[in-house]
Amino acid sequence: MSMLSTVVSNLFGGPATLMYPVKPREPYARTRGQIALNESLCDGCGNCARRCPAVAIEIVKEKKQWILYPDRCIICEVCADACNRNAIEVLPKWRTPFYKREQIVFQSKGGKEVKEKAGECPVEEV
Amino acid sequence: MAPRTITPFGPQHPVLPEPIQLKLTLEDEKVVDVLPAIGYGHRGIEKACELNEYPKNIYLCERICGICSAIHGMTYCDVVEKLWPLEIPPRAKYLRTIWAEMSRTHSHLLWLGLAVDALGFESMFMQYWRIREKVLDILEMTAGHRVTQSVAVVGGLRRDIDDDQKKHCIEVLKDVRKEAEALNNVLVNDYTVKARTVGKGVLSYDQAIALGCCGPHLRASGVKEDCRQLGYWAYGDLSFEPITAPGGDTYSRVAVRCGELLQAIDLQLEAFAKMPEGDIAAKPKGSPPANEAATRIEQPRGELFYYAKGNGTRNLERLRVRTPTYANIPSLLVMLPGCEMADVAIIVLSIDPCISCTER
Repeated sequence: MSMLSTVVSNLFGGPATLMYPVKPREPYARTRGQIALNESLCDGCGNCARRCPAVAIEIVKEKKQWILYPDRCIICEVCADACNRNAIEVLPKWRTPFYKREQIVFQSKGGKEVKEKAGECPVEEV
Repeated sequence: MAPRTITPFGPQHPVLPEPIQLKLTLEDEKVVDVLPAIGYGHRGIEKACELNEYPKNIYLCERICGICSAIHGMTYCDVVEKLWPLEIPPRAKYLRTIWAEMSRTHSHLLWLGLAVDALGFESMFMQYWRIREKVLDILEMTAGHRVTQSVAVVGGLRRDIDDDQKKHCIEVLKDVRKEAEALNNVLVNDYTVKARTVGKGVLSYDQAIALGCCGPHLRASGVKEDCRQLGYWAYGDLSFEPITAPGGDTYSRVAVRCGELLQAIDLQLEAFAKMPEGDIAAKPKGSPPANEAATRIEQPRGELFYYAKGNGTRNLERLRVRTPTYANIPSLLVMLPGCEMADVAIIVLSIDPCISCTER
């Protein structure tokens, strides 16, 4: 009998689960989903790569490339905190699953341009 | 005398979320001896911490355990801060307390769910895990992730809780408290739960102390001891009194965790009310000096001990972690002999084993 209140509230309270993926779960603003680089803002200083605890970022200075290894990245947001030019943004959207160990190459544009918002991170084709 | 058989319990077993093996010596259905064997999940995290620079170890230490990851990260920061020593701002102390108690809330809800599931009470298991989702959601809202919160940094914290988030957290926590209290009343008064747990796996007051148990497992044997009494972080300012139960049996351990679940929510609400404004992090100067430090923090499962030795460089010379389950496993040698085979599952679960913590 002591469980009656819980039973009644469950009976009329609707399901506790969501019909995913028909009804996706909205992430919170602070949710760490994936890393994205604003190529216009990055000047290739390497602060992010030096501080990354998972060695997931590589910078090739000759080619002006900023390379992310998504299978190593733990989305801790250290790179975004370390960036002096706010070029790295953490998007609340989760990355889609992938089967191969890949790298995402961003072409740094020398940090001359200034943009308000970071672009969507390219998602691997599977 | 009935013939004796040795039955392996684990490392893969439906009630065990993680790998530990118990070699049970049985006489018919009665356990006469037990030999625990660990070593299935060793990852060498302590050694790996020596190879990384000290700020990078926070994220490694968080991965020692999936349930109390926030507490592991904050405890690592706490021990490294003691090497200077470095005082963290008052607001950071309150925020650490809040996130630690949030971890305790969801850990105890997880355990209560698993324990009733081991008893076969599956509808109750789903009720506990349903309200646990609300706690995980506020963890994601405030810290950015449900499991690995990654909020700690040497010197304080990386993320603050703003007023809107605070208001939402308080609303959710009050709701969770109300629902958890209703479920706890069902659990501790249920006839079947009592029949399966009262008098099972008894550990007396003296045995609990002699075997060096810790956490809710120790307090269920009547020992009033909790690391939070040391007053670290903001616990010194909060009205905290350890919850104990006299029985020393599995039922007492369920009752202690039911009480601690509500107490953890009360502590969060009190900490939210008393939290001062100000900075959330102090900046450490240079590398950790050549010094030694140790810290004791109350994890959901008991006392978590961290030892660190610095040598003046960016890397630590030694990091040692002692987790509560390692201290609680020897008590199984006293609790299991004499019980029925069917009771082994709930008695093993009653110490809240976390094997990934134990082996690191």
